Amino acid sequence: MKIFISFLISILLLATEARAQKVFATRNGKISFMAPSDDDVKAVNNEVTSRIADNGQLNFSLLLKGFKFKYAEMQEDFNDKYVESSKFPRADFKGTIVNLKEVNFSKDGSYKVTVTGDLTMHGVTKNITVTGKLAIKAGKPLASCQFTIVMKDFGIEASAVTSKVTAEVSCQYQ
Amino acid sequence: MQKWIRIVLLIVGIAIITGGIIAYRIFTKPHRDVSAEKGLELSAQSLYNAFRTDEAAANAKYLDKAIALTGEVAEVTTNQEGNTVVNFKTNDPLFMINCTFKIKPGELAPGQTITFKGICTGYIPGFNVVINEGVLVGVGR
Repeated sequence: MKIFISFLISILLLATEARAQKVFATRNGKISFMAPSDDDVKAVNNEVTSRIADNGQLNFSLLLKGFKFKYAEMQEDFNDKYVESSKFPRADFKGTIVNLKEVNFSKDGSYKVTVTGDLTMHGVTKNITVTGKLAIKAGKPLASCQFTIVMKDFGIEASAVTSKVTAEVSCQYQ
Repeated sequence: MQKWIRIVLLIVGIAIITGGIIAYRIFTKPHRDVSAEKGLELSAQSLYNAFRTDEAAANAKYLDKAIALTGEVAEVTTNQEGNTVVNFKTNDPLFMINCTFKIKPGELAPGQTITFKGICTGYIPGFNVVINEGVLVGVGR
């Protein structure tokens, strides 16, 4: 009877093991952005939280107050006048890897990925699709991509400075 | 004719000076220095509790504020720019208070109780409360 029970338990454990997906996470990923027309308008955030799972689901969250600019005055204007970070402190992205079949999370290499999902910021949610790269090294992924954010798509009135920014993602997972 | 030129010159002069002052302000305004501020004294657990129970109220209370946070170090890491990051323990094993130093704090180790002072940027549910631009205030109680 004892043997039977332990046999049953080990079968159950094996079954859960097989179903369990692998999840990679970081609390300190990096996302920066810059205005294509003005070199001084750029900022970086090093406290991006993100999870990526080998079933293709991934999410990113960041706090807009965490963007650091070279010039303090610009940082203040960004927070107070443009993204209104006291009212909308966070930006979130939730999406999936479309071409998951082409990615092998357990094999080191560089994989081109297409990701589609919802980006929410400044109280507006918009579906976006971006292409990027997933580099697996020593079993740990590094996600990187570049894409354009049009300010007025998210109801951000910043035409005095720029109508769009180029965002750059670089997240090293543990 | 001469009067007209003088007025134009005056206007151009004023415009140049105003523009200069604005540019000067933008490019020279110093970044906030948290070490000169007193800071709200809180424990890592109480800061987490505040955000978990009422995010909007906690945002109103703590966003952009200098916070002197005391707690137990769960892990010491570096971010992708090479700055030291300390994650403080809460009673939720998956939830941390994520604190980035702007000045290297010296050797820190998990299990230590330390006080860190920085600026709170907000709450990411399921992950952490973020405090950055920080300095080490003290080790031990």
